[in-house]
Amino acid sequence: MSGEHLATRPTPGTPRAYEFPPFEKTRLANGAELRVVELPGRPLVSVVVAIRRGAADEPPDLAGVSSLAARALSEGTERHDAIGLVEASERLGAELHASAGWDVTSAGVEVLADRLAPAVALLAEMLRTPTFPAHEVERLRDQRMNEVLQAYADPRRRAGIAFDEAIYTEASAYRRLLGGSRVTVPALDPDSLRARHAAWMDPSSTTIVVGGDLAGVDVRGIMEPLFGTAIAAEAGAPPLAVIAASAVDTPTVRIVHRPGAVQTEVRVGHVGLRRRIADFHAVSVMSAILGGLFGSRLNMRLREEKGYTYGAHAGFDLRVHPGPFSASAAVDTDNTVPAVADLLGELRRMRESDVTADELRAAKDYLIGVFPLRFETPGPVVGALAGLATNGLPDDELARYRPGIEAVTVADVRRAAEEHIHADRLAIVLIGDADRIEADVAAAGFGDLEVLRDDAPAG
Amino acid sequence: MPAPHVDFTYERLPNGLRYILAPDPLAPVVAVNVWYGVGSRHETAGKTGFAHLFEHVMFQGSAHVSKAEHIALVQAAGGTMNGTTWLDRTNYFETMPSHQLELALWLEADRMATLLEALSQENLDNQREVVKNEKRWSYDNQPYGLWSHKLQAHLFPEDHPYHHPTIGSMEDLDAASLEDVSAFFRTHYAPNNAVVSVVGDFDPVEARAMIARLFGPIAAAPAPPPLPDMSLPLSLGGESREEVVDRVPLARVYVGFRAPTFGDPRLHALEIAGQILSGGKGSRLHRRLVREERIAQDAAFFVMGFVGGASIAAGWATVRPGVDVARVEAAYLEELDRIAREPVTGDELARARALVETEAVGALQRVEDRADQLSMYATLFDDPERINRELAAYLAVTAEDIRAVCAETFPADHRTVITYLPAPGGPADDEGAVDGGAVDRGADAGTEEAA
Repeated sequence: MSGEHLATRPTPGTPRAYEFPPFEKTRLANGAELRVVELPGRPLVSVVVAIRRGAADEPPDLAGVSSLAARALSEGTERHDAIGLVEASERLGAELHASAGWDVTSAGVEVLADRLAPAVALLAEMLRTPTFPAHEVERLRDQRMNEVLQAYADPRRRAGIAFDEAIYTEASAYRRLLGGSRVTVPALDPDSLRARHAAWMDPSSTTIVVGGDLAGVDVRGIMEPLFGTAIAAEAGAPPLAVIAASAVDTPTVRIVHRPGAVQTEVRVGHVGLRRRIADFHAVSVMSAILGGLFGSRLNMRLREEKGYTYGAHAGFDLRVHPGPFSASAAVDTDNTVPAVADLLGELRRMRESDVTADELRAAKDYLIGVFPLRFETPGPVVGALAGLATNGLPDDELARYRPGIEAVTVADVRRAAEEHIHADRLAIVLIGDADRIEADVAAAGFGDLEVLRDDAPAG
Repeated sequence: MPAPHVDFTYERLPNGLRYILAPDPLAPVVAVNVWYGVGSRHETAGKTGFAHLFEHVMFQGSAHVSKAEHIALVQAAGGTMNGTTWLDRTNYFETMPSHQLELALWLEADRMATLLEALSQENLDNQREVVKNEKRWSYDNQPYGLWSHKLQAHLFPEDHPYHHPTIGSMEDLDAASLEDVSAFFRTHYAPNNAVVSVVGDFDPVEARAMIARLFGPIAAAPAPPPLPDMSLPLSLGGESREEVVDRVPLARVYVGFRAPTFGDPRLHALEIAGQILSGGKGSRLHRRLVREERIAQDAAFFVMGFVGGASIAAGWATVRPGVDVARVEAAYLEELDRIAREPVTGDELARARALVETEAVGALQRVEDRADQLSMYATLFDDPERINRELAAYLAVTAEDIRAVCAETFPADHRTVITYLPAPGGPADDEGAVDGGAVDRGADAGTEEAA
């Protein structure tokens, strides 16, 4: 063969210095915060307006109102109807977007720098002066009702829903469907959307982030008249008492029957962590070793050794309040029980023994090295800066990321696993063919078993 | 705003390897992208899915790299990587911190030179199971999951290399042997059937030397056997239809056509038509089916470009519960008919052009996307300079170009229609009563005929 010349592995060159791009922070006249990050050579500018009010503080009987209101923002403004608004933005080569998350509602646009001012004017118009026409709201409501049906038919989305319902108490906001259920959505009328919108118009909860090649662009001069003026804000609903309480105190197993399914979608986990925690870096390294890297323990065991799955992963969905921790894989039906057993074994091993020095090094080098790759273009930089505001994190959080990861030790990883993986209160959710897996799952004794047949969304 | 321009060199080693160097120091990042001129169209009967299974084997080690170590080395170097297989080609790529360029090139060279030295039955068996689970995950266990396979089967005759899906069949995957892997490697995986692109923060003199040193000694192989003549007329010779009863909550109508090949300027015009038909909320299909008549949950139209014989133009509309499926199909086809008869308006064309311009800038932002495009144009056309002509080609499309290509593509005897119908008793079966002033009630939501 012709490989002798390849016998010596290359040694890396000298790393080029990298700093997360510095940003400038000011306030508009009404108190809204403006963050501007100059990214030379990046003509496609990204703009995000992030409002720290998401679906988590909706009244339970209006679940989905944030999401529906965000979708309806572009259905008409005081100046344009829906088609007029979309056509105006398309003439600029820009697409306006808006969506509600659990903790934040965002609207934004990506546009070439020389068209920034008119595109941002449309963004402000959409965000500040929507009219929520009844006829269009009715259509969006109907689309959402159908979307829930589609989610229940898709094993991955169905698994996510069943998992959240398994780990959070009935009263927890994070247990609900982000976009609303077939029970709550029919009640969402234009008035409820207007009330939600009024709660968003709070400058003290608003952060605007602009990133890209902004040479010669007066960003503040563009933003001040559009977003800096006062607007009649209303107090939002009082925050819910319960957003993320755990419903599980002993291991439980729930099978959602999907007749004829050739795979079982597996989710295992519990209520996890908020983003703003002292041991964020240790948790990041621990998650990477457990189920983040391709060479993670879960993926190596379930995919590369056993061939049970196309991929196994684990991680913490870090939110303002404790989001889910989950390990997941889609496994062929016949291997459901051995795959779950392996997955549980890896969770236990993470808690019960130290990671090796090689595992630690590989995970740290990956997280540190890939950091600049993640932030090559404006969109992710702007998103990360908005995320700092959402989670109440300090301005130097991203600059401190790489040293923070580098400082993590084997003992830190062990402690993070012991403190944050709770083997005694895991929920195991299986979306699969109960006729083929129920008996074996019951015999395996993973926990109290419940089987949901005749699966359909409520409402 | 001037169109972005990619500066590069395009060179060839004595063993036939073509390579492209496009330095750009903006970010401390470098992308390596290798395209091999082999895809699922090169598979033979009884061996479907093999090109993709082989792609997995490429991560199972080579003479100097152990199983799964390729990915571990890239990730430990702070990089990302993957491989993909499609009808015409297979690609492998790494994006690295720029000081790790040589590692990525070495890993690609080692598997190009020595893959078979590390090949084992155990690793093949393992990846066969992984790929079978990929097939279940991506297609078999998904609602509407097999639509694209059905579309290919309808649009291309049984003996055509595009007839079968890239993921292959379970039966053929089970039959794949070590001898098949060896033969496939010897036939298709050689420097003279590959293009290597390097884009980002590097010194071209150093990179050129690395490529010569790492890839230069790899022996060329005889040219792969030529493919059969793949040319096809746009017409299917008659409309082709299939009904599928599935566990889906909403009926969905898929339509498909053969379209001009990738590289044919008419395909640019068809892509602009796709933007006008279904790109965003102001588009024709969305406006009529979703907003105005309110008969569809969503609507789409898009083009998948292929170089051999014909591309695929396809789309779908998801039928609102309680609505007559035939009505949705008729409205969808009317819009295709209209764009084939009447020129699009000046404003529609101007909006589509503005969006295409933004997209073109977006598509060249990341070094890995630039590397992929350069490898693509070099592999398929031996012409990487196309990367700098594409935007102008889109912007040159006229209303008449759009009308003409739609008229050529969309006649009734050119199309295939695949209709998914919810199995009786599903969750949407009793949906007729939900709001719906604008809704016609259809009678056929439970039609039983399946293929």
